[in-house]
Amino acid sequence: MIMGSNMAECHPVAFRWPLKAKTNHGAVLMHVDPRFTRTSALCDIHTPIRAGTDITFLGAIINHVINSHRWNTDPFFKEYVVNYTNAATLVNPDFKDTEDLNGVFSGLSADGKAYSYETWSYQRGPKPVPAVSEVKTFTDLLLQRVPGRPKTDPTLKNTHTVFQIVKKHYKRYTPEMVETICGCPKEMFLKVAETLLNNSGRDKTSNITYAVGWTQHTVGVQIIRAAAMLQALLGNIGRPGGGVLALRGHATIQGSTDIATLYHSLPGYLNMPDGRKNHETFKDFILTEAVPLSTSYWGNYPKFAVSYFKAQWGDAATKENNYGYDYHPKITGDHSHLPMMVDMMNGKIKGFFVMGQNPAVGGQNARYQRKALAKLDWMVVRDFFETETAAFWRNSPEVTEGEVKSSDIKTEVFFLPAAMVSEMEGSFTNTQRLLQQHEKAADPPDDARSDIWFTYHLGKQLKTMYAGSKNNLDWAIKNLYWEYEPEPPEVANFRIKDEPSAYKLLKEINGYTWEDKKPLPSFANLKEDGSTVCGAWIYTGVITEEGVNKARNREGDNWISPNWGFAWPANRHIMYNRASADLQGRPWSEKKKLVYWDPNKEVKDPTGKTILGSWVSPSGEGIDFLPTKAPAFRGRDNGIGFDWLSGNDPFIMRADGKAWLFAPSGLVDGPLPTHYEPYESPVQNLLHKQQANPVAKTWKVPGNPYHEVADPKYPIVVSTYRLTEHHLTGVMTRWLPWLAELMPELFCEISPELAAEKGIKNAEYMSIETARGIIQARALVTRRMRPFTINGKTVHEIGLPWHWGWQARAEGDVVNNLSVLVADPNVTIHEGKVFTCNVRAGKRGGAA
Amino acid sequence: MAKGMFVDTSICTGCKACQVACKEWNELPGEPAHFHKVPDRPYQVAINFTGNSYDNTGQLSATDWRHVRFIEQFNENRTEARWYFSSDSCKHCNDAGCLNACPVKAIVRTDMGNVFVQQDVCIGCKYCIPSCPYGVISFSEQSGTVHKCTLCNDRIHNGLGTACAKACPTGSISFGEVEELKKRADARLAQLKMRGFTKANIYGYTEAGSLNVFYLFMDEPSVYGQPEHPVVPQRRLFRSAAITVLTAVAMAVAALISFREQGTKKNGEVKP
Amino acid sequence: MSPETQAPHWEWYYIAMYFYIGGISAGAYFIGSLVELLGREKLREISRIAYYIAFPLICITPILLIADLGQPARFWHLFFYTKDITPYINHQSPLSVGTWALLIYSGMSFLSFLNVLVADGRLKSPALRSLLKLFNRIPHKVYAAIGSFFGFFVAGYTGVLLNTTARPLWEATDPLIGSLFIVSAASTGAAVIARALKRQNIVSGEMLERLELFDRVAMIFELLLIIMMVIIAGQYASPILRGWYGLMFWGGTVAVGILAPLWLNWSARRPTTSVNNPVLLGAVLILFGGALLRITLVQAGQIP
Repeated sequence: MIMGSNMAECHPVAFRWPLKAKTNHGAVLMHVDPRFTRTSALCDIHTPIRAGTDITFLGAIINHVINSHRWNTDPFFKEYVVNYTNAATLVNPDFKDTEDLNGVFSGLSADGKAYSYETWSYQRGPKPVPAVSEVKTFTDLLLQRVPGRPKTDPTLKNTHTVFQIVKKHYKRYTPEMVETICGCPKEMFLKVAETLLNNSGRDKTSNITYAVGWTQHTVGVQIIRAAAMLQALLGNIGRPGGGVLALRGHATIQGSTDIATLYHSLPGYLNMPDGRKNHETFKDFILTEAVPLSTSYWGNYPKFAVSYFKAQWGDAATKENNYGYDYHPKITGDHSHLPMMVDMMNGKIKGFFVMGQNPAVGGQNARYQRKALAKLDWMVVRDFFETETAAFWRNSPEVTEGEVKSSDIKTEVFFLPAAMVSEMEGSFTNTQRLLQQHEKAADPPDDARSDIWFTYHLGKQLKTMYAGSKNNLDWAIKNLYWEYEPEPPEVANFRIKDEPSAYKLLKEINGYTWEDKKPLPSFANLKEDGSTVCGAWIYTGVITEEGVNKARNREGDNWISPNWGFAWPANRHIMYNRASADLQGRPWSEKKKLVYWDPNKEVKDPTGKTILGSWVSPSGEGIDFLPTKAPAFRGRDNGIGFDWLSGNDPFIMRADGKAWLFAPSGLVDGPLPTHYEPYESPVQNLLHKQQANPVAKTWKVPGNPYHEVADPKYPIVVSTYRLTEHHLTGVMTRWLPWLAELMPELFCEISPELAAEKGIKNAEYMSIETARGIIQARALVTRRMRPFTINGKTVHEIGLPWHWGWQARAEGDVVNNLSVLVADPNVTIHEGKVFTCNVRAGKRGGAA
Repeated sequence: MAKGMFVDTSICTGCKACQVACKEWNELPGEPAHFHKVPDRPYQVAINFTGNSYDNTGQLSATDWRHVRFIEQFNENRTEARWYFSSDSCKHCNDAGCLNACPVKAIVRTDMGNVFVQQDVCIGCKYCIPSCPYGVISFSEQSGTVHKCTLCNDRIHNGLGTACAKACPTGSISFGEVEELKKRADARLAQLKMRGFTKANIYGYTEAGSLNVFYLFMDEPSVYGQPEHPVVPQRRLFRSAAITVLTAVAMAVAALISFREQGTKKNGEVKP
Repeated sequence: MSPETQAPHWEWYYIAMYFYIGGISAGAYFIGSLVELLGREKLREISRIAYYIAFPLICITPILLIADLGQPARFWHLFFYTKDITPYINHQSPLSVGTWALLIYSGMSFLSFLNVLVADGRLKSPALRSLLKLFNRIPHKVYAAIGSFFGFFVAGYTGVLLNTTARPLWEATDPLIGSLFIVSAASTGAAVIARALKRQNIVSGEMLERLELFDRVAMIFELLLIIMMVIIAGQYASPILRGWYGLMFWGGTVAVGILAPLWLNWSARRPTTSVNNPVLLGAVLILFGGALLRITLVQAGQIP
């Protein structure tokens, strides 16, 4: 099932594989989407739903599945769900569900802006006796605080079991409700639900694939959770052909989040030191971050963290100074893009580096963001062409239409030319966590340079400038371990001789022992005593011996292909693949065999002793489990990490080793996905009194006006999305004549019904308006767009690809002039996929 | 052995990578007719939005050697919902109207069966252009000669396949020996028919002497803008030449009668 | 019928005009050579005029053809394949065969032209005189016959050229345009000879009568061919049934170029020595109609 994604258009090369599954192996492809796209054209089924109603649809599938005959009689499902998910876990009796509280969960603060987790917690057994009495290491800190094991009811009958809570939560998510809220005919919904159900089990698995069609909502994270829950209930996680595949929005953005260009993460998904939390000292940091996770593989948090700090500062990071923790920057709020632009508008930000980004076009409420740029003292833009962001001060619409004068903009803009993909070396990390090394084919022209060149030399200059400083604020940069000079062979064939060594960077990310600089073969070798360096623990294993970069491997085998690139973690392609075997460690079926327990296999333990029994993986797939842990092994109640986890706990990154149907912590807007209307919607929430996500992030500031619910001025739903022919804001594509002529102008996809109502004619101009701005586009009148009937009322939807800006060979209005600053509360991703607007025929100024 | 391409439109996603790969390999510019000058800009701006689904290319030209067609088939209540894609190009006909028409032997067939325009021979008489039943070959004002897909003549003569087939992400376009491709096409057609796609058909086994670039369509060829039963124009040559000769003979007879020696004239004068 | 074909973008002032002028030259030459071959002394002025007109007219045609080429300097490729410089002809291409025919016809009409110059004592150049002497070892009638034969080719192949394409109008009117052009060539050839006679103040007499008779047959034949052509073309005749081209075709070629001269010819049954002999006016209209015939058929076949 492809939902929240237009895979054929936005991930065309990846789409090759689902298509092969369909043509060569009879796989059924289903596309659930408001629009009929090029993906729908190649799927067996297209199921239309109103934008923003994904949780209703998914919740209804969950409801259908758990009440179905098949799910309740085929023993596979119960075996998987009871043992590998937290379905049997008992939840705090004080927990109140949305069904009890008109659409919110228990724990909502008085002002309705935030939840506290207390009532969502597990019921637990008594705390065990700590394994250590003194604290000598960070690990000892964790060992003293191991909680009692969660209480469970394997019969699932207890009303406080997660299962019963889930069942009650989704009881009203019926096919009729889907028809009412999503506008999707019952039969079409049931077809999808039945297909997924019948195609899951011992012998078959189903996959759910999504992309930013799910993430860009105020309930984005919850939508994805719903899919994960469904797959867990269907027993599809950790098994070949199953799982939830995230198609990420940019090339190597997986690598970008892995190595943490995110404000709130350290590399390897550790949390950023945060001034708002109890992160005063390194010990506090470990206690706050690692204790709740200690009974999972995250129990090794101290080792990951110390190795990271050691990578930053090398010799300057010592036990005495807590490995430099005190000098490490701490965040003090949400510094992601949207609130950053609000701060910028309020004059709090002086300088801005914009590298390969174009907020003047790509930013929500783009007019607001362009005006914010004018408040900066200086801005450095690195890109291949003069982007709209770099040029905003002289020719943005605000300037050309006289709203703002160029001479009033004091921002000094430095435009630096950037190298293109083939002009630099580095590893790419694809959405399936696969690292592939990418060669440099040629030097960039003239002064254009790669981002690592820029960052490295900037760092070198700053280190030199801070060399004599005694200021604590400068310690971090002054003491940076910054040794990435290239070896002569690395630059021999190229003109640019001072390009930093991509190999050295990857080796540091992989990790090595500080003393002898030998690469670490595995994250299991990481230490918390400062003897190991590791930039990002999840990548350890890509370089196991000096000079051998597994990301360069290119041996495919038409299946797992363990010798093609390197998949983190530890070359495991399917995460949680312990779940591909049953409780006894036997494959669920011969057909779906992946990793399984061989009781007779002889292996050596770390001391060199021979022991009997190991997990095996004939395909070469990495085993996402402790290889010598027998299925029958019972974890130690007072252990942490692998010691605590049992032989039937496949989900080793979860503190209880189980897939979470119910999320007791970690998400700020609820333990269970609930249907909330998009923040701007033409209809009331038909399920709950609570209209939209109560804790969605909003910015009620001047210049960011929101529409009312069912605002008669803006009755039409609008969704923004991408085309194959252009990339994001078009900086990489709209300058190329070959691509500019494929999609030359901004257009709006509109149904014939709506077009007729408004007198809009195909290929002529139409205008789209919100409280934030008004744009014009060519009308593309097509039956691929359809009106929805929601509770008897007709709701129209239009679609806008947002690639256009005022520079370049293919030009058009900026679609984001229409959108507003509103975001998911967990990750502050903007709700770009659904908001409201109005349309009319004719150009912006009134002409035809 | 003849080389060609099999275009399986049933797995085309309409991504247009073929169009771009072709331009990239052959170093073709953007189609001049698609751009115009704008004051104050050092570059030309694209103006070719057609409103015809996602097809802004419109037709093949001297600089567009591939053209992806988009065919939407939707009824009012959307119970019928289909969107077909097809990447059109020169078919490299085995009985090629353009080759047959060329008076200077600029258009030739190579040892691999592809039809190729020798740019240094072409005089730009443009007679091949209306002679192609598919409207493929086109004239370039800039070079004064005609251009079309060469089947990547340089690539295929150096052990490589065509650029479009290489770029195609789904394998919809595949390059190889025509006989091998036909086997694959027949198997795919059989598979589709078994799955209930009764309208699926192969286009190119018999048309124009058989096409080295042939298609699997999901509907009638006319839905894809192709002629149902094309007649290569030169097959009609004999008939029109014969009729014309007969007419010449008739005119000769008429002239003989008009200008012959006559006995009497109307006004009574007697001729010697 | 092909839903998508492309037009060759031939300019009317090059290609259509070539068809027209070539047709007149060939038509006139044919009439002139026939008269000579029949040995009609009384009509020899017709031959003389024809040979004087044919060559200069055919000299204009290569200029028109070469000017329309995308690569004019390469016109010689039509005769020699550039890769091995051997003579080249493509029998499947009317354009190729027609080019050779044009060459031969031009040669023959050149010889005939030189002959009449000599006969009028106008040929001064010694080089040309000796050239002519060389060729005159073979009787001129042979050249005239060959020239006529290839003249017909030149007159008719241009129509076959149009029909041997996939453009809807041209494909649908197959196989008749070649015939139509031959008949029109004969008609316009006769007309131009008649106008030349007028310039010599010959405004009546047997020559005019014979020309007029011939032209009448030709025009009726032309009308019949046009009707047949439109019928067989069916819906694909629409480019010449409406718009400006429709007007030019039916108003110009048919009404002014055929029907009016026919009517004038009919009223010329009453003998007259008037300088305003309707036959002579008719000749002008025939020439006008002949031009529009080529222009409309060539250009209307190119509209999208």
